[in-house]
Amino acid sequence: MKVLVLLDSNKYVSDIHGFIMKAGFSDASLVAVSNVEVSEGFDKVYRVGDVSSDILVKLGSEIGDFDLYLAPHSKKCIEALSFYAGSRGIPIVTEVTDFSIDEGRIYRNILSGRGLVSYKFTTPMAITIATGKFKGSISKTPEIINMDISPSTQLLSTEEKAFGGVDIENADIVVGVGRGFKAKEDLDMAFELAKVLGGEVGCSRPIAADYHWLDEDRWIGISGKKIRGKLYIAIGISGAPQHIMAANDVKVIVAINKDKNAPIFEYADYGVVADLYQFLPVFLERLKTRLGV
Amino acid sequence: MDVGVIVKAALDVNVLRSDPSGRISIESIPLVISEYDRNAIYEGAKICESTGGKLYIYSVLTWGPMERKLKDFENVIREALALGGEEAFTVVDKSINSSEPMYTSEILAKLISKYGSPKLILAGEASTDMTSSTLAPYLAAKLGYNVATFVKELKLGDGYVEVLRDADERLERLSVSLPAVVSVTGEINTPRLPTLIQIRRAFRKPLHKFTLADLGLSPIMSRYEDYKVVTVKRKNVIIEDESLEGVADKLIEHLIQEGVVKR
Repeated sequence: MKVLVLLDSNKYVSDIHGFIMKAGFSDASLVAVSNVEVSEGFDKVYRVGDVSSDILVKLGSEIGDFDLYLAPHSKKCIEALSFYAGSRGIPIVTEVTDFSIDEGRIYRNILSGRGLVSYKFTTPMAITIATGKFKGSISKTPEIINMDISPSTQLLSTEEKAFGGVDIENADIVVGVGRGFKAKEDLDMAFELAKVLGGEVGCSRPIAADYHWLDEDRWIGISGKKIRGKLYIAIGISGAPQHIMAANDVKVIVAINKDKNAPIFEYADYGVVADLYQFLPVFLERLKTRLGV
Repeated sequence: MDVGVIVKAALDVNVLRSDPSGRISIESIPLVISEYDRNAIYEGAKICESTGGKLYIYSVLTWGPMERKLKDFENVIREALALGGEEAFTVVDKSINSSEPMYTSEILAKLISKYGSPKLILAGEASTDMTSSTLAPYLAAKLGYNVATFVKELKLGDGYVEVLRDADERLERLSVSLPAVVSVTGEINTPRLPTLIQIRRAFRKPLHKFTLADLGLSPIMSRYEDYKVVTVKRKNVIIEDESLEGVADKLIEHLIQEGVVKR
């Protein structure tokens, strides 16, 4: 088994190694193509200028054929891996969450996380791996090969995203705010709730993308961040499919919304049909009393 | 400049139907336009308006069975035409009954090269039902076009497009030579709602339907997926009480019992 791994950040190495181990390919030859320094866990690492667009196509003849092409489910890697798969006519399955060796099948979620689709695992195949579903470590010291190669698309400049340095993806508890909040100052109630619970504040798309009340690293959605902690309290959020899909791995979901027909209630364990402006102050007060804060 | 937009008639994620064995009943879920396709159409329409080009809609009916899905599919294409498309080229074939980018790209590549071959093809960043985000780059490779995905800003230059793309941790401004396939995010614009006149006009715009045989393609036989409803069931408990205090207390008790809030 020969495995090629496309990487744009070291933070995904554990996901990749975890997948390889779960699939029973620990003895495989592992070759990485990366734009960041990779010091461990591969037989060979090709260092390139960037990992998007046609980078793998350009490298193709240099590094040969593989049975399995893996990448994290990051935006640039999805692009480059899909483009490569397209150029070779090989199947690609993205955001794979599980691998069953017995059945020879891989799994991914569809329909906002309400559906699960399984694909027969065949080779050659290209796969992007869902973040946080696999964990592993393979110890190997790679040979590093520097390649003076970049994609055909020309990078003009980069812009940092406005980030508050918040990591909602790894937070145990997230309090989500949506369009039910009428003013930015009102979000203080959510921040207070998050503080009492020891969690972080996340938000739906309009709060980050349209109103810019909160930074993008708090945005819960398929274009934003995915959360997978133990509690998510969605306040004033109607529950667009893209939002729900990104919260579906959370153990317990609570929805607070004044519209009893809001889709979010279908995806919630506990629902409170109430105006957040009336309910939140009461909830906060009772919670503080109960928790002795 | 002519622009093409890929439109998907996607399974309506708000309507999930399954059979007793837990298999998703794809045949009974209605189809709706995939959300970000609206953004792609509006972006394409703006370029066509400023450059005097024609906006082509390309689509494949991917979810079968054809007989039951055809009406929904036509409604989606009419909506795309009302939103700004001038002419639609579609593929409807009995042998296509699942949404796999590998096959869909091959069909679209053939369709685009045969009808219109615009140098700029736009698509949504992901479909609302499958959210794989693979179609645009896969199709670009098949067409021999360049690619840029997750684009939040698009500017047409002479023989290239300048895009601002989301690269997770940062944004990247790229120059992409045409021909190119570009997938756009929901932030790129706010699509306008079609007016009644536009909706009525859409019914007079040409909507072409081809079979795989028309395009010289063989029937699609391979189908290797299996669709199941996710077994993670939510409790769906609506907490009620005479007073908000009562509701709050009950909610707190539930959260403590679940072990997610520590006393």
